[in-house]
Amino acid sequence: MDIFSFLIDGFALAIQPANLVYAAIGVLIGTSVGVLPGIGPALTVALLLPVTFKLDPGGSIIMFAGIYYGGMYGGSTTAILLNTPGESASVVTALEGNKMARAGRGGPALATAAIGSFVAALIATAGLAILAPFLVKIAVKFGPWDYFGLMLIAFVTVSATFGSSPLRGLTSLAFGLWLGLMGLDQLTGQARLTFGVPELLDGVEVTTLAVGLFAIGEAFFVASRHLFKPEKPIPVKGSIWMTREDWKRSWKPWFRGTVIGFPIGALPAGGAEIPTFLSYTIERKLSRKPEEFGRGAIEGVAGPEAANNASAAGTLVPLLTLGLPTSATAAVMLAGFQQYNIQPGPLLFTQHADLVWGLVASLFIANVMLLVLNLPLVGMWVKLLKIPLPWLYAGILVFASMGTIAANPSVTELLLLTGFGVVGFVMRRYDYPIAPAVVGLILGPLADSALRRSLQMSLGDPMILLQHPSSAIMIGIALVALVAPFVFRGLAKFRQDED
Amino acid sequence: MRKIFRLGLLATIVGGTLGSGTLQASSQDLELTIMAPAGAGGGWDSASRSMQDAMMASGNAKSVQVVNVPGAGGTVGLAQFVGSADGNPNQLLVAGITLVGASISNQSPVDLTQVTPIARLTGDPLVIVVPKDSPIRSIDDLLATIKKDVATTIWVGGSAGGADHILAALVTKAAGADPSKINYVAYSGGGESLAAMLGGQATAGVSGYGEWEGQIKSGDLRALAISYPEPIEGIEARPLKAQGLDIELVNWRGIFAAPGVEGDDLDKLKSAVEKTVKSAEWKAILKARGWTDYYAPSDEFKAFIGSETERVKTILTSIGLAN
Amino acid sequence: MTQKTLRIPNRPTGVIAVVLFVIGFITYWDASHMKMRATYGMSASAASYFVAILFVALAIGHLISAFKPSDIEAENADWMAAGWIGLALAGLIGSIWLGGGFILGSTLLFALTARAFGRKALLVDLCLGAFIGVVVFLIFNKLLTLALPQGPIERLF
Repeated sequence: MDIFSFLIDGFALAIQPANLVYAAIGVLIGTSVGVLPGIGPALTVALLLPVTFKLDPGGSIIMFAGIYYGGMYGGSTTAILLNTPGESASVVTALEGNKMARAGRGGPALATAAIGSFVAALIATAGLAILAPFLVKIAVKFGPWDYFGLMLIAFVTVSATFGSSPLRGLTSLAFGLWLGLMGLDQLTGQARLTFGVPELLDGVEVTTLAVGLFAIGEAFFVASRHLFKPEKPIPVKGSIWMTREDWKRSWKPWFRGTVIGFPIGALPAGGAEIPTFLSYTIERKLSRKPEEFGRGAIEGVAGPEAANNASAAGTLVPLLTLGLPTSATAAVMLAGFQQYNIQPGPLLFTQHADLVWGLVASLFIANVMLLVLNLPLVGMWVKLLKIPLPWLYAGILVFASMGTIAANPSVTELLLLTGFGVVGFVMRRYDYPIAPAVVGLILGPLADSALRRSLQMSLGDPMILLQHPSSAIMIGIALVALVAPFVFRGLAKFRQDED
Repeated sequence: MRKIFRLGLLATIVGGTLGSGTLQASSQDLELTIMAPAGAGGGWDSASRSMQDAMMASGNAKSVQVVNVPGAGGTVGLAQFVGSADGNPNQLLVAGITLVGASISNQSPVDLTQVTPIARLTGDPLVIVVPKDSPIRSIDDLLATIKKDVATTIWVGGSAGGADHILAALVTKAAGADPSKINYVAYSGGGESLAAMLGGQATAGVSGYGEWEGQIKSGDLRALAISYPEPIEGIEARPLKAQGLDIELVNWRGIFAAPGVEGDDLDKLKSAVEKTVKSAEWKAILKARGWTDYYAPSDEFKAFIGSETERVKTILTSIGLAN
Repeated sequence: MTQKTLRIPNRPTGVIAVVLFVIGFITYWDASHMKMRATYGMSASAASYFVAILFVALAIGHLISAFKPSDIEAENADWMAAGWIGLALAGLIGSIWLGGGFILGSTLLFALTARAFGRKALLVDLCLGAFIGVVVFLIFNKLLTLALPQGPIERLF
């Protein structure tokens, strides 16, 4: 296998002292820009790409890898500490991560995110080296009907985030689906629920909804209870490092998250969100302490973060083997390659093998560098939460709105953000779960277009969903997952009656 | 004295808003703002930022800032540009054929005929491909397939009403079929539609040539034709025109000034852009980005915008995306 | 007021039921006015109809549970504090809408939010907010070349 000799050559390049320095610089600036709200990994890389041009190709690819991983990690930092996910893939991280931070366990949350990302990226990058040619063949065979099946499975798993009442959970999900309708329909160009406002034609940004519901809704809620149930200053309990117990509860989720994230990330329209939901659901199901979910369960950070990073490595599969950019970040990476005169595509592995493996090696190095540089910083990040409450929330609001303004400086966007904040407040007040709304907004449009693309290709015949074995199996799994809990409950009841 | 100072302050503030056009002596002092009516990272954004770099590096402007106003295929940015930059000689807009289509299909109250064309900059060819093991070997085969059954001829490409869709409609029409019956499956970008092509889920696909170049060169996709009027060096596929179809469609990008900019102000902008486009810096950017030069000066560009708007409107009406 | 609460034991749920009905109706109305039809397969309105029906079903569900005794006790709320946050966000939006710029807007947002959490030192908070605003503006505008909305203060840089 000359893959490995190429990989060794790549490491030889990446491990030179000057290149290590570039990797460190890349990780540092990537992290510091990535923590700015509203600036997810894609925008971080896009903004910092010009910085790397000034170096020689080897150094710039390495710095680029550092920026990429730094940006990814920075996004989850804000999700955990400030409840403001910088991109849709860190929404799930915010669910449990922020609860942990609130309980004074921000240190372990950040650490498990960092180490989980590291483990996932390590395995997934290895998977990339070995499985890429094989995976990609399956990935392109994935038709719209298969995506629809995958969406159905994802929809069923959402119920894990429903909380105590199915009615309130479904309402929250429906709200997300409704927001997902807004904007121009991708297939026909028909405007839905835009009420003649041109700014709504592009639909609702997932981050706007998530930040509005999470961060701003939270600020409203906490302020409204401040007089009656003053929020205690956030304690830092115990060590800021992970305890033995934390390690024990984290390592399996890391691996499971990786296994879920990498193949779905390799699908051309798989994305990073669905694996994070799936991982969250699975960890919740498998956890020995499911009651901790919703109150800061470390598995709920470890799994989704690993899934997120593994899917990011997964997107490199179609990118490097087909030249197919399947995510915003991958599209920016593509632009980066072109700057180095690499044309990604089927010929890349044969024509520029040295550069590809140099990149893969750089990703490894950057990954290690990220861990080395950021673990010591965890202590500093956690101190952020010691800021007095009024300033902390004032700061969160400034950061949250700034992210929205930076991405799209329009008053409509800010009005939406505020509106979602009010909705988030009402939802919290009357005990509606928040996460299903975000899930609905992400999955709704995807399922809609997958189903309609299938039907368009079959000229309206719904049997197309069952004619392909792969989609039929996935639809079957979704059905079983939907019905099984009821059946089991019924059986249990039946047995009880028998006794 | 005090009054003068205050006036001066006012002038600075107003100048910041409206630009300090009257104070400029030569084009080297230009302080410009280019609006990219799209988010950071996209095609118009990179064109804007490339223009920014080239203008400053070639010394044709003192400072250039890029502002992103994303939304609705560019119509949000265009509406804001028409509304707020009126008569301001320091504001520029970068836009392209997608905006022409978006203005029509979104029924936007503004379109590109309301702004002042400065120059057409780049024009990239679209390509029509089929999967490598498709029985369709030439554009004539494709036309025959369409004619036989337009409904089962599945096209994939970019967003509904975009340049890809328009080209597919033009080809369908040229085959003698009803363009409103075209089975065009829209994807959000070249990446997803490429996956559908490689997975063999479609009969034919349309995209920017550059996006699918790798697959065409490796033989995973068979290019039937490009939509550029003349053959392009390095591209094997021949133009539609050379294959007997009177179809040309170029994914062009151009630069515009605000409505009501005229006289000296306009001339200064025209000459600054013209000098930039002829500079070595711009040539280097075109090469690095893989863009095809499609320069046309202001007057020619103006006529082009008019004819292009009419043409796109006719096609969009024929496929039922405009009325 | 007490009499009404007697008749509908769970008033907030009743209100939400009405809101859901209205959203369902708007969605239905919007879908029935769509002009573009897909030539093959389902049109864009199908998903709208689906969501509209879902909303009506949820509204009925809420209505039913509105007549059951409430299972959650809504806590007392300090509406003044929530109002301050509303005002803070309005300050930001107003500042950007009227061309006051990003720094002024963030300053207002910061100081008024701090006020919502019971801080009385408005002047200190205004200064702190302005400082954060300036730093953020400089990072975004100069370092990252992302244009934030400009007002009179921003033009001084």
